[in-house]
Amino acid sequence: MASYFDEHDCEPTTSVHNSSRRTDLLRMLRLFLRSDVEEYGHILGQFIPDGESLAPPAAKSVVENLPRISLKDLDSKKDAQCPVCLAQFDNDDVIITMPCEHYFHMDCLLPWLQKTNSCPLCRFELVTDDPDYEELKKEKLGQKEREARVADLHSSMFG
Amino acid sequence: MSSIATTRIQRELKDIKESNNQSIKIELKSDEFNNLRGEIVGPSGTPYQDGMYKLSIKIPETYPFNPPIVSFDTRIWHPNISSVTGAICLDILKDQWAAALTLRTVLLSLQALLSAAEPDDPQDAVVAKQYKDNQKAFVKTARFWAQYYANAPGPRDTDCVEKLRKASEMGFYKDISLQALSTHSWDLENAIQYLTSC
Repeated sequence: MASYFDEHDCEPTTSVHNSSRRTDLLRMLRLFLRSDVEEYGHILGQFIPDGESLAPPAAKSVVENLPRISLKDLDSKKDAQCPVCLAQFDNDDVIITMPCEHYFHMDCLLPWLQKTNSCPLCRFELVTDDPDYEELKKEKLGQKEREARVADLHSSMFG
Repeated sequence: MSSIATTRIQRELKDIKESNNQSIKIELKSDEFNNLRGEIVGPSGTPYQDGMYKLSIKIPETYPFNPPIVSFDTRIWHPNISSVTGAICLDILKDQWAAALTLRTVLLSLQALLSAAEPDDPQDAVVAKQYKDNQKAFVKTARFWAQYYANAPGPRDTDCVEKLRKASEMGFYKDISLQALSTHSWDLENAIQYLTSC
């Protein structure tokens, strides 16, 4: 039997591979949960990830490459403290610098980045090893850009 | 309890004492660092103004990598807090927790939640529905609960006092009568009908 695309003499606009199909399914579930949140949301929400759950761990390679420094490299911030354990940095502590310029004890930051991908202080996001999550992030970014374009268009027409 | 959790709680308690903020309080319930008691004052300009809200705070073994478990001990009428159990729906206590957040920031966020409810993400569907459909009844109920349970000062609404007296004179417990009247937006007949049917 001819497929939909053969009959209409066209190509599918995006390649349909497993992970985007899964994202589509998740997106459908999220829309469904949002629209019916008063009736079923609470019941279903317990079983289905709704996109608001904790982001996956930071990519191992990224974490390994975060710069390790010591207190003497931080000379302008002599009395700085680690935001996770709230203790002041000591001379022989190994300190990790995040790309957002926040500093943590290595022993305090690593357990956190094994749980989720963001800076404990400002939520700056590191890349993850999770293809579904990266896809979702791209999708959200794309949606924001589309909204911004629509807003631009509106203001150029009516503004 | 893990040493990082214990030392962090000790530092946090010290910081709160030194910060001198009169509207939030945290103290140990016993010698254990995993079981604390908090207290926040209802923010001004809200029905909860000057109410004293007691909170129970449990610190997990994995703190601060997992959030503290917080619930209201003092009963409160708010869309994001269960009017029956005191369970709280707040993102930073769930998936938006970050290891650099502290008990102080959690209590400040709870005060902010009392100032700005999020009825579209409810914990108590009955309260959220009233908040959206009948704001006047919501404010009246939330204020009365603040005075009744949280010792908020000021004269109490005479309509509430009178209806609560009538329901309890019929032999229903005061707490249950208040819950029924609140749920039915102070329609005495509906509340009594509900009370006799359960």
